[in-house]
Amino acid sequence: MRRWLPLGLGAVLALLSLYPLQATGYGIRFMLQMFMWIALAQSWNLISGLTGYVSFGHVAFFGMGAYSTGILITRLAWPWPIAALAGGVMAAVLALVIGWPCLRLKGPYFAIAMLGLNEVLRVIVSYYEGLTGGGNGLSLPTLYASVPIYYAMGLIAAAVTGLTYVVVTSRFGLRLMTIREDEVAAEAMGIDTFRYKLYAFLLSAVGPGIVGGLAARDQGYIEPTSVFPLITTITMIVMALFGGKGTIWGPVLGAVLLFTVQEMVWARFIYLHQLLFGAIIVGVVLLMPRGILGVLQQKYNLPRTI
Amino acid sequence: MAPILELSDVVKRFGGVTAVNRVSLSLEAGRIYGLIGPNGSGKTTLFNCITGVETRDGGAIRFKGQRIDGLKPHKIFHRGMGRTFQVIRVFPELTALENLLVVTTSGYTESRARAEELLRFVKLEGLANEFAGNLSYGQQKLVEFIRVLMTDPELILLDEPAAGVNRTLLNELLDAVRALRERGKTVLLVEHDMKVVMGLCETVFVLDHGEKLAEGPPGVIQSDERVIEAYFGR
Repeated sequence: MRRWLPLGLGAVLALLSLYPLQATGYGIRFMLQMFMWIALAQSWNLISGLTGYVSFGHVAFFGMGAYSTGILITRLAWPWPIAALAGGVMAAVLALVIGWPCLRLKGPYFAIAMLGLNEVLRVIVSYYEGLTGGGNGLSLPTLYASVPIYYAMGLIAAAVTGLTYVVVTSRFGLRLMTIREDEVAAEAMGIDTFRYKLYAFLLSAVGPGIVGGLAARDQGYIEPTSVFPLITTITMIVMALFGGKGTIWGPVLGAVLLFTVQEMVWARFIYLHQLLFGAIIVGVVLLMPRGILGVLQQKYNLPRTI
Repeated sequence: MAPILELSDVVKRFGGVTAVNRVSLSLEAGRIYGLIGPNGSGKTTLFNCITGVETRDGGAIRFKGQRIDGLKPHKIFHRGMGRTFQVIRVFPELTALENLLVVTTSGYTESRARAEELLRFVKLEGLANEFAGNLSYGQQKLVEFIRVLMTDPELILLDEPAAGVNRTLLNELLDAVRALRERGKTVLLVEHDMKVVMGLCETVFVLDHGEKLAEGPPGVIQSDERVIEAYFGR
């Protein structure tokens, strides 16, 4: 297991990096969006899977990144890769401002506060027309950059997953898990739980911020309802839960499986996929709250790194 | 010698209930103290006030001569005070070893060596990589106990260490507590098992309705009329 996992991973990465050489436009866009979902589900996992603080408004960071990037490209003519990175920074700033008060809230109150944050951001963005274009949205200059964005999205998905690996295999990650396991005991055992939650929250905001910026560039047009939809948060949560929250590869697995199924069903029935998603949420919560990987880990006593 | 822990007139209220009412006590370093009292007399609340889990409403708590009331629990822990809980609070989805590793801030190799030494100390080295949640009740209790010892604290607060532990395990635990005293550590324990209290503690504090009722050597406390009345009624 230990030997072929890095080998298999290397082979997959090599194939993915060669893929654009012979792919169709649809194929590129399909993969690019899959990378985006991996990055989103994995980022949600960093805060919610590890510390147990469920963020119900994680799309706020995606939207923050999208608008920051959109504004930097349209008003200041920044090159899109730099603008997208700046989107990540802005998302982290937002996480700091929001996390400072909200991470003192426990459990469900934090989830509700995050839900509120997303709604408030959407209203703010709609209101400040001068900067954001308001309800009319923001059109970015035309640019055909699917292949570079494919690589950029892939890189972010890999980076967030790599970050998760480093975190989960470190004592920092174990301490984040103690917050999920028993916050009072963690605090009593000398762990500065607030500071650890804040670090995890900041880390979890950067990926969605960058990915939001890349998605804005890719789509060429953003509006408040397209970058702050609740369904995006729900989708990343379902992907992480389905694959296995709190694990390294669970969110990747969940994103790949569910996004593929979603695309296949989507192509035929527009509304059925929401029904399917609802069914998956219910099924996962009832039958395997640990997700696919969580169940396998428990059954076969696998190490955390698998 | 200056006391290691000193409480003066500590008060804690929950709404209209005064759970701890002007309690003062003082612990000398290197001794074992007991805290007893009927259910609801405020023992655990007092523990929570001392360790910062609850903020006290009045009075002062000094540890090694410095005020610690108002500090967060993690700050108090790193000043050298560790505790266990009445209800077991291990981290169930972390292994026994990981439960210990998260506590220290020193280097990994050093922490790991210390953790393995402690696991051997309570004969749990074979279960180091088992999830704490899969261990038996008594084993979890031991993990919680040695978790406190990871940073080598000077004062250790044990909330009902004997509850639900079988005789063999209990004797090991008591030996471990005595070994701590021999190394100059101070222990304060809440306990209902009078045999444990009498066999271990040099001084016993009695709480009743949040107030300190009596204080003294176990033999004297056992025959104190007020204490008997508090436990059995008049």
